Amino acid sequence: MRSRLLRGNWRWMAFSVCLVTLAGSAQMANAEGTDEIDFNRDIRPLLSDRCYACHGPDENHRAGGIRFDQAESAYGEADSGEIAIVPGKPDESELIARIISHDESIQMPPSDSNKKLSLEEIEILRRWIAQGAKYQSHWSFEVPHKSDPPQTTVAGWGQTEIDRFLAARLEKEKLIPSAEADKRTLIRRVTFTLTGMPATIEEVDAFLADESPDAYEKVVDRLLASPKYGEHMARHWLDAARFADTHGLHLDNFREMWMYRDWVIQALNENKPYDVFLTEQLAGDLLPNPSWEQKVASGFNRCNVTTNEGGSITEEVKMRNVNDRVVTTGTVFMGLTMDCTRCHDHKYDPLKQKDFYAMYAFFNSIDGSPMDGNVKDHAPSIYSKEAVEQIASFDQQIKAKKEETQATLAKIDYQDPGPGVDNPEVKAEEIVWIDDAPPEGGAVSGNYNWVAAPEPVFSGEKSAKRTSTGNDQVFFTGAKAPLTIFKGDVMFGYVYLDPKNPPREIMFQWNDGDWDQRAYWGEDLIPYGKNGSTKHRLGDLPEAGKWVRLEIPIDKVKLKEGAKINGWAFTQFDGTVYWDKAGVVTKYGKSPQFKSMVAWSEYAAKNLDTVIPENKQVTEILKKPADQRNEEDGKKLQRYFLEFVCADTQETFDKLRADLKSLTDQRSSVVKDSPTTLIYKEAAKPVKAFILERGEYDQIGEEVTREVPSFLPPMTEEMPRDRLGLAMWLLAPNHPLTARVAVNRYWQHVFGTGLVKTSEDFGSQGSVPSHPQLLDNLAVEFRENGWDIKRLMKRMVMTAAYRQSSDISPEMAKRDPENRLLARGPRFRLDAESLRDQALAVSGLLVDTVGGPSVKPPQPDGLWKAVGYSGSNTVQFKADEGHEKIHRRTLYTFIKRTALAPQLSTFDAPNRESCTVRRERTNTPLQALLLLNDPQYVEAAVALAGRTMDTGGADPVSKIDYLISLCLLDPENQVLRKELESLYFDSLTYFQDNPEAASKLVGKDENPAELAAWAIVCNTILNLDEVVTLR
Amino acid sequence: MDPRQEYFRAITRRHFFQQGALGLGAAALASMTGDSAEAAKLPSSGIGGLPTLPHFAPKAKRAIYLFMAGAPCQMDLFDYKPQMNEWYDKDLPESVRQGQRLTTMTSGQSRFPIAPSKFKFSPHGENGTMVSELLPYHAKMVDDIAIVKSVHTEAINHDPAITYICTGNQLPGRPSLGSWLSYGLGSMNANLPTFVVMTPNWSGRQQAQALYNRLWGAGFLPSKHSAVTLRKSGDPILFLSNPEGIDGSLRRRMLDSVSRINEETYRLSGDPETQSRIAQYEMAFRMQSSVPELVDLRQESQATLDMYGPDVSKPGTFAASCLLARRMVERDVRFVQIFHRGWDQHGNVAGDLPAQAKDVDQGAWALIQDLKMRGMLDDTLVVWGGEFGRTIYSQGGLSKQNYGRDHHPRCFTVWMAGGGIKPGLVHGETDDFSYNIVKDPVHISDMNATILHCLGIDHRKLSIPFQGLDVRLTGVEERHPVKELLI
Repeated sequence: MRSRLLRGNWRWMAFSVCLVTLAGSAQMANAEGTDEIDFNRDIRPLLSDRCYACHGPDENHRAGGIRFDQAESAYGEADSGEIAIVPGKPDESELIARIISHDESIQMPPSDSNKKLSLEEIEILRRWIAQGAKYQSHWSFEVPHKSDPPQTTVAGWGQTEIDRFLAARLEKEKLIPSAEADKRTLIRRVTFTLTGMPATIEEVDAFLADESPDAYEKVVDRLLASPKYGEHMARHWLDAARFADTHGLHLDNFREMWMYRDWVIQALNENKPYDVFLTEQLAGDLLPNPSWEQKVASGFNRCNVTTNEGGSITEEVKMRNVNDRVVTTGTVFMGLTMDCTRCHDHKYDPLKQKDFYAMYAFFNSIDGSPMDGNVKDHAPSIYSKEAVEQIASFDQQIKAKKEETQATLAKIDYQDPGPGVDNPEVKAEEIVWIDDAPPEGGAVSGNYNWVAAPEPVFSGEKSAKRTSTGNDQVFFTGAKAPLTIFKGDVMFGYVYLDPKNPPREIMFQWNDGDWDQRAYWGEDLIPYGKNGSTKHRLGDLPEAGKWVRLEIPIDKVKLKEGAKINGWAFTQFDGTVYWDKAGVVTKYGKSPQFKSMVAWSEYAAKNLDTVIPENKQVTEILKKPADQRNEEDGKKLQRYFLEFVCADTQETFDKLRADLKSLTDQRSSVVKDSPTTLIYKEAAKPVKAFILERGEYDQIGEEVTREVPSFLPPMTEEMPRDRLGLAMWLLAPNHPLTARVAVNRYWQHVFGTGLVKTSEDFGSQGSVPSHPQLLDNLAVEFRENGWDIKRLMKRMVMTAAYRQSSDISPEMAKRDPENRLLARGPRFRLDAESLRDQALAVSGLLVDTVGGPSVKPPQPDGLWKAVGYSGSNTVQFKADEGHEKIHRRTLYTFIKRTALAPQLSTFDAPNRESCTVRRERTNTPLQALLLLNDPQYVEAAVALAGRTMDTGGADPVSKIDYLISLCLLDPENQVLRKELESLYFDSLTYFQDNPEAASKLVGKDENPAELAAWAIVCNTILNLDEVVTLR
Repeated sequence: MDPRQEYFRAITRRHFFQQGALGLGAAALASMTGDSAEAAKLPSSGIGGLPTLPHFAPKAKRAIYLFMAGAPCQMDLFDYKPQMNEWYDKDLPESVRQGQRLTTMTSGQSRFPIAPSKFKFSPHGENGTMVSELLPYHAKMVDDIAIVKSVHTEAINHDPAITYICTGNQLPGRPSLGSWLSYGLGSMNANLPTFVVMTPNWSGRQQAQALYNRLWGAGFLPSKHSAVTLRKSGDPILFLSNPEGIDGSLRRRMLDSVSRINEETYRLSGDPETQSRIAQYEMAFRMQSSVPELVDLRQESQATLDMYGPDVSKPGTFAASCLLARRMVERDVRFVQIFHRGWDQHGNVAGDLPAQAKDVDQGAWALIQDLKMRGMLDDTLVVWGGEFGRTIYSQGGLSKQNYGRDHHPRCFTVWMAGGGIKPGLVHGETDDFSYNIVKDPVHISDMNATILHCLGIDHRKLSIPFQGLDVRLTGVEERHPVKELLI
């Protein structure tokens, strides 16, 4: 066959050229087993990728009446009458004939599909058919079963089950594992793996000194117990949970969510079993009597991006929110790519569009609006635990206080004393505050120009005569006895406008702390205040040539009950004005007092505005003529009268009211000050769900009920049809995916690549596991061991495989470039967070407080503004100040989704817009620029230099020793030593010649040149491959 | 030349350079080619791209996308609708609207009164193409560009719409146009990024729609394919400058140590990533000189500066960004995207639209002339347009003097010019209301397919399996390059 193909035409030659680059993955797949072709490992990925799009599970796009995902169809007759696969007979199989055909009309895959098969791949297909074309179900959809780990002769690899599986494979591949890494490398590696931080000098020294056989295990146990473990594990989970500090769309406003993040940290530090971890996040709110923590955990379902963009159609936004929950649940817990089934049946996996919307039905009944309102606490949300407890306590006290009021009322045996007892009139009193002089203590600005008769004077001896062109003001402030303002008060003042030279505007202004209470007459010319809000027109100018009393009810100028007036301003624009006595008319806020209910009800019926507006029922009763009120009305009136009016009972009720107000005020202040976090809460009634044709929100199709995908085990009777039932179903022993997907992600965390490389996709388009039996054993045991995450992490880091040296021989680099077979230890660039945390840790800057609101360490100006919506509350970046905030672990850095901090984005951290379970690891010049020049990294280098000068010993050699220990570099590396030394002396010369450069770099110091030279060495160290790599 | 032959030649060339980059390190590569800006150029087939690309001989080697974020009013700029004068303040007929969905900003309006454009149009160029008085410089270049009046989309709000046109999907998470180009075609310059974004100032209402890093992000592709944003102030590229107190010579001395130590690490541990890291540090060092040289407009002649207008001397303007874009494509930066904000005229078309138009008019014209004069327009594609169109009916108050316009996804105007595009063309037609397309509709994904086509890419074949889908920039529906626009 090969020779025939090669004789064919030029295209095959071109493809064989391309093969050289593509061969890597194919080799891997083949390298895994024996000569026996394995459908799941060797064939399904080929058929899935090249054929399923037209001959797969999707009924709507099936061509030729043939599907290759099912044996019956593949062995049967196609529409053409031909048989695609004749088991045992590749030469009679139309599948092969068409693949090798040069006739474009029948050739498969068709040329416009952009899909090709390599010669090797065709040969594999041939062999599979020759061996009987045996089908298997897709491996990950079958329940995992344990198998006995193989025996191995590899020394030191017989101890753990994991090693035995790995070693068997290495033996088969004839690869020789690497030696164990040296202790220094090992403690650095395991400390990064488990805590995301470098080991300290003390920790390294202790480990080096410990010669007991379980020295390493003791380190592992110590690390697993460290609070930094939970932080580091949380950071990985938060990528998957798409946690962030902003809403992500449009305005991208602040979202307060950090209590969920802290829940994750705590859960992982407490080693909450994975089944509980999953259940509380997926359905914490549905657990019986959910705790505060469980409600917070349900915020997992609220981490999706949201919008409040003007003009958005609510139904469409809602659909997108729900889609994200379904897709995230599919990816994180099942490794299923559900997104594409929004629009149609899955092309490669047996997922139907209906399955998507049946899952959608679990997530579409939230008790809250899909639009986030641009607020930080987009409902449903919850206050801090402390606040929730305080609020509950206040609510109880408020309830008790209200009950006490009712009980007190019930106990009063009221007898109406009859008419004649009460006098409904309350006399108003005029308080003159200014007459001939400002009140005592008032500091005057301007000149009153007091004049006496024969000039016009209204009261006392004098009036203030002022003439101006344009604006003229006289005022005083700081009166010793301020005027207290009561409800219903009326301010007054007398003016006399000169008819020969009238002003164009006059104004009074009162100071109750500010001057924003203004009343004016005439035109709006005086340039103070804002008309309508802090300046109010009371009318035209008064008639000139006579004294006029101007009255200003306090409501007209927004003077508030309880205000204390300490100053008064008299302003005029143009003209001559005489100003005289001014003050307030007050009833001291008093309403008439009554002892007789009959007398009061007669009075109140005529003065309905004296009834407290909240008591509408009482107002309604009072509107009725007295003889038409029934007994019930009478009782209500009496209760109101006793509680709010009756002179004999007010002392009691005033006290109760004051108590109640104090409680509600305290409650409000707790609510106002408490942080919040978004949670999930189910609507009272499940919202109906429908298939949305082509994924369009307004193309409503068949109604669907809550169901799990039909190709997976069904939900049982005892599983409720809600998110809690969904969690139970995911965790059932017969669920093929949940445990596998979880252990694979932890494997990826420890070794750099998952046993299934595509940790987000366990379907037929995903990669096949490098060690399927190992994955299955780990999955089953994870469940059987009570979903114990720390135990699993420990199992992995205790292996010989993990503890190998990560050096790469050229042979290994060629045979296993991705280190899937683990003939060497893990080696990859540190993640963004670990890089920065390391710089902060070795420089001694790190503040290791756990939890709390996110922080904003400095970043270059303008990054938020360059993209932000002008009205967004995250458009302006303002860095936090203070060591306590700017030197926290990077996990706590504020995540604005539309403009991720460069320290994160440059090193492949996802922007948390959608669920991410696997990060890329790139290597770019922008990373070099950041590590070299970012002020935060420079600051760390200078701090590290300072630390070195303080504690690194006397001479440069011992300082370099110190840095090598501190940064866990290879002490045997002579090139490193020599380079750092010569760099130090060259830099020292440079800074001694350029002292101003030294002070620019390190600021004021006793010995700036030396410090600066060490800073250059430290900056260099923080950029070394050995330092930026987990190795 | 037979495109297939060119294709093979490209592969051979690229393999040599990939070998070179891996085997010798980019530092060695640069020393091999010298140090000048010209010498930093790599073959137009690029390095680091896919071996199967380009799919055919490309007309354009590089592209510049002038993105008008917020959505310009097509009927006030290009889509001339004189009939509307008789419809002033009359209701949009239901026969035109056809029950089409509206944003909730105007769906509650009791009336949809028609607002004819208040701006004068006049004929220009060989075909008498009508252009608004707001774009006098554009009027001078209608024979250089192809105006497409029939672009349409499904999204009606900014965030989903701009995400859609820039990444092919309304939801976040997909690679942007530029990152696809970087991934597929690779780099043509060893000293500069492949994909650069600028976000100039604007003059309309400052309360403008947001941009998002995802519009030029790499989505699920490795982040090295995302754009480098050129900043208006401070370092043009983040962290480009050495810290105060460290000059170029000291930095060089330091990097020599980094290289030597890393070489030793490589010798001891054999990780190819270490070698790659050495090369990246050397490129970073070269960028420290190549980028300041790139953004130094003092090297431009007075005649060139005059052509771009007085704005060009103000950093952060659209005109300055256009000139920078020309300097970048001259140095074979593959793709430059300029996001000019402020085009969301829900109200005050009379005040804001002229200011926005003035921002971009002369700069865009000068860019085309400049490229033409340098013989670069033939292999540089230029695209101008927003994320959707605007309504003929007024949002809010309507008077002869002023009006507002709501979002309208069913038609809008985009122009294209240069590499691979027929000049002097008007394509597509809308009805009298600039509401529905009556001839030659062009979906935004057709337009993206056209852009890819000009760059030698069959949009159907540039795909990546992700989450069970073969993800393409142009989505899953059938799309086509607009052949009428292509040379």
